[in-house]
Parts: sequence; structure tokens; C-alpha cells
Amino acid sequence: MDEPLHSWFKREVMIHDEALTRYLRRHWPHPEDIHDLRQETYVRLFESARTHIPDAVRPFIFVIARSLMADRIRRQRIVAIDSTGDLEALNVVVDDRPSPERDTTAHQALRRLAEALDCLPAKCREVVWMRRIDDLSQKEVAARLGLSEKTVEGHVTKGMKRLTDAILGEIESSEKQTTGREGGQRDGKQQRD
Amino acid sequence: MESSKEIEERALAWLGKRDSGRWSEADEAEFAEWLRADTAHRVAFLRREAAWEYSARLKAFGVGRKPGVVPPPGEWRISPFFDRRPASAVRAALKRSAPKIAAVAAAVLLAVGVGLYQKMKPTAEAYSTPVGGFASIPLRDGSTIMLNTDSMVRVALTEKERRIELEAGEVFFNVAKDPSRPFLVEAGGRRIVAVGTQFSVRRSGTDIEVVVTDGKVRVEPKFGHGRAELLTAGAVVHTTQNSLLVQKKTPHEADEELSWRTGYLTFDETALTDAVAEFNRYTRRPIIVDDPRLSALRITGTFSASRVGDFVELLKNGFGLQINESDKEIHLNSKGSGD
Repeated sequence: MDEPLHSWFKREVMIHDEALTRYLRRHWPHPEDIHDLRQETYVRLFESARTHIPDAVRPFIFVIARSLMADRIRRQRIVAIDSTGDLEALNVVVDDRPSPERDTTAHQALRRLAEALDCLPAKCREVVWMRRIDDLSQKEVAARLGLSEKTVEGHVTKGMKRLTDAILGEIESSEKQTTGREGGQRDGKQQRD
Repeated sequence: MESSKEIEERALAWLGKRDSGRWSEADEAEFAEWLRADTAHRVAFLRREAAWEYSARLKAFGVGRKPGVVPPPGEWRISPFFDRRPASAVRAALKRSAPKIAAVAAAVLLAVGVGLYQKMKPTAEAYSTPVGGFASIPLRDGSTIMLNTDSMVRVALTEKERRIELEAGEVFFNVAKDPSRPFLVEAGGRRIVAVGTQFSVRRSGTDIEVVVTDGKVRVEPKFGHGRAELLTAGAVVHTTQNSLLVQKKTPHEADEELSWRTGYLTFDETALTDAVAEFNRYTRRPIIVDDPRLSALRITGTFSASRVGDFVELLKNGFGLQINESDKEIHLNSKGSGD
């Protein structure tokens, strides 16, 4: 029953994802909160769309994001000096379309995607290629590569994370986490040898 | 409480699981319950799902490759978007306006593939693509131009301005910001002025179509003092000698109009005759619609521009059309139309 709302969200809202992230980054001094703020923005937007789908999505998103940030500042009563100015600036929602950093174009996104694919660990890349580009089912991929279906699902999930990270502009943070962990394991093994 | 990142991890796990094909009714119920439990779950899932669906565009790179054979990293990106002949890996036939440097033409041709052309610095350059061709060309000012099938531009970069003449075809411009040097595109008696933005211009004779996907551009007559029209993202403009029609679309829809940049043509309830005209831009063996009644058919979907055959096959199987192919043309008829 939520199907129409789902496709509305994916089609009309997600094209502003990058702009929303940029807006939050610009106005919120604590980068670690951005992820939460974005999710909260979408929650409010979605809840509100259940009763009425907004006509102008983009400005509406900014208005919600702004009010969330203002709420936080009021609630926490920890008004960092450098963010007071921003709160005032928050009263004016300025879309940043004319600024030099622009929403990514289809072409740029495709290139980012291609690079993210090439940066996957070899086995994972092979699995994702067969699944996503060649359209083989996970089962077929498992048979071709002699892997268990569970392993293939793991690779696909990991590939999904990396590729969607790339599309959503979240490369930096997640990349560090994963490589850090993997590197640790490898080091441990080497010591043992 | 679950953090927003934990929720996204869970969303990804669902996405991977659902993709596996081992998706039972119990999974479906559990998943539905998870979605229902918290709108945060729902939006996190939709966000990742939308991005994953978008990644299907990678398929453009698989065109012409044998399924199940995975090329090594880096090597596959030169894969041509538009057809499958390996010899055409470098597709842009670059032509130079000065004949004396014709000798380096071959080198230039090669350079398109490896990105060396930036080192050559003639003042006016011409770029063209053959029918079915496609080329993405970085300019020295940091802008990028993408030439669609059967197109030709002349590029002159000076200290005062960046001037592009669109001689024929369709070109997408991703303009590097430089307020001191306006970016001018001239086509069919009109001039399109941009400072830092993205837009495409398509020309047939003196008619032009401008699609703006980002920022602002101005369309004005090349000579004289006619009306200037300021266009923002989402605007689609058709002009003839004496008229100018502006349609307002969302930036997303405008982007879709330019799906050729990824090697695909996207139709949404498009009349068969229009879809055929679009395909015919990419092939030397045109499709001809013989029965005028067929123009009532509406086509929706995304098709590889290079695979006219797939499209024709779909018309045959999906709509029951009768296909007559010769070396020169492909004819479409309704079934049982008698001839």
C-alpha cells in the first residue's frame, strides 16, 4: 500500500540527496551528526508525505532540515560559538544551485560508480560484475565461481554497500572503516606466520 | 537505540538478501515488519535501494562483452558505449581545421582514448562523431563536452571568451565556472550563454533544442536585438527561426532527456514514430514506419542505442508488428496489412 510513496521517494526525493547532505554539512558544525540529521529529515518528510505529497520537494527538504538543526541547538543548549551565526543563517533557506559545487550529473555518477567497482576486492568485484552487469542470478554466479550462495550474497551485499556509497557520496568515511578492519586482520595473520 | 548507521547496515543486508533469490514468505513477512517498525528503517532502505537501482547504469559498460567474463580493473572503461566492434574502441573521428596538421590526425585519434589531446594547443579545434558514434572530450578550461551521434563542433578558447560553434548534431556541455570568460554556444542563428552550468544543444538545420540540467543559461539571437530568454535547470527549449517554446520539467526529467550520454535511449509513452526517429539517428540502416496507424503506438522503456535489432525484435514480439528487413532499411507494418 506504500508502493506509490516508495517510488515517489526514490524518484522525487533521492535526486536531492546530495544537495541535502551538502546543506547539512554547511550549516551543522559536527560532521558526525550529519548521517542522523539526514535520516531524520527523510523520516519527517516521509511521514508528512503520507498525508500530503509536497509540490515542491527540494525547498521542503531544506525547511525540514533547518528546523531539525534549530531544534537540536535549542534542545541541547550547547550552542557552539561558531554555530550561532549559522542558526541565523538557517532562517533563510538558500538553495545552492548556482554555486560551483553542483549536483552530480549522470555522467559523473557513472564514472564514480565505475571507479568504485574497480576498487572492490577482486572476488567481490567479480561477483558484482556478474550479478549487476551480466545480470546472472546470485545462484548462477555461485555455480560459476564455485562459491556457496551464502558467500555470494555476502559479496553482493558488500558490493552494494560500496557502490551505493559511491553514488550517495559517502566514500570517504565508510572506506576508512572497512579497510582499517581488513588491514588489521591481515596484519594479525602475518605475525602468526 | 539503533543509530542511523546501524539502520543502514540492516537495510543493506535486506537488500542483499532479497537480491539472492532465496526469499521466502517468512522473509517477506519479517522484512515488512521491519519496515513497519520505524519510518527510519523505511527511508534508509529506500535510499539504498534507489542508489542500487541507479547502479544498473553500469550495464552500459557490459554492452558487447561476453557474460561471465570479467575484464580486469581499469581496462574495461574504454569499452565503447555505442556499438560492439572492437576496432571502434576509439570512436571519435577527430578532424582538424588546419590541413597541415592532418599528419597527426591518427595520433589525435588515438589520443582521445588515452587523454593526451589536452597537451595539444591549437586555437580552434573541430571535433566530430560519425553516425552511431559518441565522444567525451575534456577542454583545456576544465569543461567537458560530450558529442552524440553524427555531430560536429568547433571550439575556440580565447582569453576573453569560450566560443563553441555547433555545426550539426547534439552536444552536452559541462561548463567549468569562469566568470571572466563566458561560454558561448552558437547554433542555427541563436547563441546560448553560460557561465558555469550543464546543458545540451541539439541542432537540426536552423532549429535547435536546448536542455538545461543545471544552473542557468541564456538563449539569445546571434545577431540583432531579439528577445533573450533566461533558462534554469529543467528547462527544455525548442526554437525555430522565429519562435521559441519553453517547457518546464524537473531537473531529473531533463536529465532523462539526455540519457544518450550513458548509451541508452529512454522513452516514456513516446509515440512509435518519435522513438523510431530517435533510433534512426544512430544507424545507417533506418527504420521506416510504413503503416501510419502504427504511430498511435506508445513506447516506454530504456534501450541500448546501439542495438536497433533488439528494439525491432521487441516491436515484433511485443506489439506483433511485421518486420521486413533489407540491406538498406527496416520496414515496420501492422500484421496482416497485406503486402
